[in-house]
Amino acid sequence: MSIEVNGVSYETDENGYLVNLEDWNEDVAVKLAEGEDIRMEEPHWDLIKFLRNYYEEYQIAPAVKVLTKAIASEKGMDKKEASEFLYGMFPKGPALQACKIAGLPKPTGCV
Amino acid sequence: MNPLPGGRHYTQTEKNIMSSPARNWKTIESGPHTYEEALHPVVRKNYGKFKYHEIPKPGVLRHVAESGDTIWTVRAGTPRQDTVDMVRVLCDIADKYADGYLRFTVRNNVEFLTPNQENVEPMIAELESLGFPVGGTGMCVSSVAHTQGWLHCDIPATDASGVVKSMMDYVYKEFKDMQMPNKVRLSTSCCAINCGGQADIAIVVKHTRPPRINHDHLSTICELPKAVARCPVAAIRPTVVNGKRSLMVDEAKCICCGACFGACPAMEINHPEHSKFAVWVGGKNSNARTKPSTMSIVAHNLPNNPPRWPEVTEVIGKILTAYKAGGRPWERVGEWINRIGWKRFFEETGLTFDDNMIDSYRHARTTFNQSAHVRF
Amino acid sequence: MVGATDASSQEVHHCGGCHAEGSGNGKFLNPTPMLDELESGPWPSFISGFKGLAERTKKPMLRGVMDQLEYSYNTKMGYWKGGLVTVDGYGAGIITRYSMIKDKFPEAAEFHTMRIQPAPGLHYNTAMLRELCDIWEKYGSGIITLHGQTGDIMLQGIEQNKVQQCFDELNRKGWDLGGAGAGMRTAVSCIGPGRCENACYDNLKLHLKTLKHFVGVLHRPEWNYKLKFKFSGCPNDCTNAIMRSDLAVIGTWRDAIQVDREEVNAWVEKKGMDALVNQVINLCPTKAISLKDGEMHIETRDCVRCMHCLNVMPKALSPGKERGISLLMGGKNTLKVGVNMGSLVIPFMKMEDDEDIEAFIEQIEEIIDWWEDAGLDHERIGETIERVGLKQFLDGVGLEADINMVSRPRDNPYFKAAY
Repeated sequence: MSIEVNGVSYETDENGYLVNLEDWNEDVAVKLAEGEDIRMEEPHWDLIKFLRNYYEEYQIAPAVKVLTKAIASEKGMDKKEASEFLYGMFPKGPALQACKIAGLPKPTGCV
Repeated sequence: MNPLPGGRHYTQTEKNIMSSPARNWKTIESGPHTYEEALHPVVRKNYGKFKYHEIPKPGVLRHVAESGDTIWTVRAGTPRQDTVDMVRVLCDIADKYADGYLRFTVRNNVEFLTPNQENVEPMIAELESLGFPVGGTGMCVSSVAHTQGWLHCDIPATDASGVVKSMMDYVYKEFKDMQMPNKVRLSTSCCAINCGGQADIAIVVKHTRPPRINHDHLSTICELPKAVARCPVAAIRPTVVNGKRSLMVDEAKCICCGACFGACPAMEINHPEHSKFAVWVGGKNSNARTKPSTMSIVAHNLPNNPPRWPEVTEVIGKILTAYKAGGRPWERVGEWINRIGWKRFFEETGLTFDDNMIDSYRHARTTFNQSAHVRF
Repeated sequence: MVGATDASSQEVHHCGGCHAEGSGNGKFLNPTPMLDELESGPWPSFISGFKGLAERTKKPMLRGVMDQLEYSYNTKMGYWKGGLVTVDGYGAGIITRYSMIKDKFPEAAEFHTMRIQPAPGLHYNTAMLRELCDIWEKYGSGIITLHGQTGDIMLQGIEQNKVQQCFDELNRKGWDLGGAGAGMRTAVSCIGPGRCENACYDNLKLHLKTLKHFVGVLHRPEWNYKLKFKFSGCPNDCTNAIMRSDLAVIGTWRDAIQVDREEVNAWVEKKGMDALVNQVINLCPTKAISLKDGEMHIETRDCVRCMHCLNVMPKALSPGKERGISLLMGGKNTLKVGVNMGSLVIPFMKMEDDEDIEAFIEQIEEIIDWWEDAGLDHERIGETIERVGLKQFLDGVGLEADINMVSRPRDNPYFKAAY
């Protein structure tokens, strides 16, 4: 599978994740978000930036509780509100949608 | 919306996000399905007030309540890996003989409950004619705890349902009877994680070689620190291969557990020849007589041989034969072995004890014989 | 009744509802000679079931999956890879499977599984089960596992573009998705008060209330790792809770086993004095049972509530009157550190009314809060307790140390007390 952004084709896997993570840029992110019926607004970009910075520093995607803690502390929310806000931004979940749009590797398996 | 702690109010964007159509969940997060409507009226009437039970014959239970009401249960084996057609057939039986109620056991048997004794024999006859063996009660060999295998799992070295079918064909008679010293729980698992669980007799995949790494794709499909952290013996290290970030395995340290494979699909541990089977005995979950126990390895290096796995089922046969002959009433397999001693266990089953069976992992010393107790 | 058994093919086993006439020309399915070997023999054959379903429904996914399974049987490798498919608002619950060889078997390209929470105790009435089957057949393959090891109904084989609709229809009928990932998982209960005379508490009710309480974190996982509950009605532990769950709730009693003297005599009359001695008295792990003037006597202070004598004499003996639960923690299977048994952490809690249930849930919340702070990523709660120490855990969750938590006090003096 692939997506087309500004006339360039980028390979994606059957789940819609970028196959080559170096292909990511902000236009690609918007396109990936479109595929998820998500319109990128400022809070979305804040989270994408957070994810990419975290991945660059630690080479892993942050655990969900790290994400909700970051949102909670930045926006002055409690844990529950932060979780609702996160799922409000990405209804199918941070792992499935936020990581995909941020150009991170697909989170792994059931064990 | 209430203001946030500190008195800050939500921005318009935040409000939009939290009440946008995308967030208009119609889902009812109900959790487990309710159960009261799934209980037979006689059960509901006597809920929590049952007095005793008997097992009049294999596959049949008779429970008597304090009120004097009786409820009969007919139990039958299923493949666990079912189809909607099969389930509908079971529903037909439940409608015909059990007032439309049925349930499943933790070990994948189906149960039909009825207060009418005259329904029991016809139900047994019909179940048997449809290919569902009536049994699985009392001192029998019950069905196999297992999971998904090649049908569905993403990390299996073998199949599960196929192994179960082969095992249960082999022990079929003992499922339908109650001639064992005590119940025998079996399990099978398609990798070393052992999702089938502890059992009196378990057959579990054992990998015998370290993983083979796909360096071309590892850095795009795996989070490297996760794979490194997953290794229980710190045998994985980052490295660079052909200019790409990747991982390497210290093969001398590697214990071939496959934990890294679950974290990183580029660390392939399954191998058609080198992923083999091991047999384990002595697991026990109940508290009766002796405390719950984990199982011990008694055979390994057995081939993974679909579609019937004869080498593995043969070993199970040897163990069951020795246990049936030598176990005293109420002794589970592990308790039988504790009484006769491991030396006799290996002799009577024809299996071989080797130095790989001596523990070398976290609590090894606790398994050494720290006494002068010896059997000759 | 669906389908009819084919009386002419005696060799091949029949599972009700299938036409096991063998594969060949004019059939929907491709030949699967390896899998066909699993049709012979007396135990019901899942392959016969699949074949019957495929021939009736002609769903291409079934053919693709059978082809890929046959291929696996030949190459001795698996070909599924994971991914992420969910429904709106949930971060988990669908086990995503894409075929790694979909160029070879395009019909098996997607084979996702929906985990569905059954009713506690795995009780069904035919209306709800038929409804489940009808909805599943409409959207998915029709293959169903009853039940998974953790306790889910598994609807195996659906394409991602059908998942939301299928779930919505199931959800409208009272079904909800099961757990996956690093959060609360689906729980298991034994039959409990729904038939068993040994049930010491209403485990079906506690299961339902507890899992409803944690439904948010079951669907939107955000803990260090998975957490599993299992609810057994008595120390027979038929759900295998102690070994297979982080939080094992075991029914128990505090006072004396109830003895029906007449029934004891009837039992001895029937089975003999030898049996009483060899099968009951000699097998008591703490020698709590003895004969006094030929009468069986249980010394309650020595009894550890192992269930053995109740199992042997179900009509004569029953659990005590002062009933409740014990909580054991930390069970997990073999991955990484090896298998752990749960260990006793709360010896006794009353479990009779809704207030007791609330108190229980509150205690669990405290335990989980502690684990969220003290635990590492991908560390089960039992591993956390082992790493930091049971004493630290007890301090952290506000539980008093109790001698029942250990099988013996330590045999080394290496600690620093706060004095």
